[in-house]
Amino acid sequence: MSKKEKVAKISGEKIYEVGYHIVSSVAEENIPAEVEKIKSYLAKEKAVIISEEAPKLRPLAYSIKKAFGGSYKTFDKAYFGFIKFTLGEDADVRTIDSAMKNNESVLRYIIIKTVKENTMYSPKITVFSDKDAKIKTFKVEKAEIDIKPASVEEIDKSIDALVADEVI
Amino acid sequence: MKQCFFSQNNIKYVDYKDIELLKKFINPHARIQGKKKTSVKARSQRQLAEAIKRARYMALLPFVAR
Repeated sequence: MSKKEKVAKISGEKIYEVGYHIVSSVAEENIPAEVEKIKSYLAKEKAVIISEEAPKLRPLAYSIKKAFGGSYKTFDKAYFGFIKFTLGEDADVRTIDSAMKNNESVLRYIIIKTVKENTMYSPKITVFSDKDAKIKTFKVEKAEIDIKPASVEEIDKSIDALVADEVI
Repeated sequence: MKQCFFSQNNIKYVDYKDIELLKKFINPHARIQGKKKTSVKARSQRQLAEAIKRARYMALLPFVAR
């Protein structure tokens, strides 16, 4: 029985998610270009994007060093974004992994297996700014899903809570 | 007896990006709380530990605090 399950898992599409930090030395207006670069890696493997979140500048929990041609630079903040995608049977996620590794402007990244459904429980990613929250609600409107009832007041409230938290 | 948080809220997959959720399960030193303290079912506790470790690697949560 366990063998059958294994076979079922191997065949069919696989769902992955790549989360990444883009170095803060990249100017804000050049961020979309960086995202396109990452998407081009996915396109090479014929990945189908399920959902994504645009990179947003956020403070890091600890400072991270990255080598630039022989010298280290330390970063305290970075643009964090993620893309969830599916890969076909014949595609290899390792090519995406190595492409991300060789990307100079990616400070750190993680590729994980995940599920198709929305996995966020908290009504909003409170570590992000309110500007980002607006983008997120637009997305929800487009893609239906059950988060819809979150009214504007609720979002405002959670933003207020977040601001209060940060002050502390 | 306290019930499993993830069962109650019907959470089947613990996401490493859900920092506000993960923060509930770490102590002020940023260590992962034990299963006795969290009262989370075994599967969720494993998922939770994995998610917190991923969040730490991505600098969304600290490895150590204070």
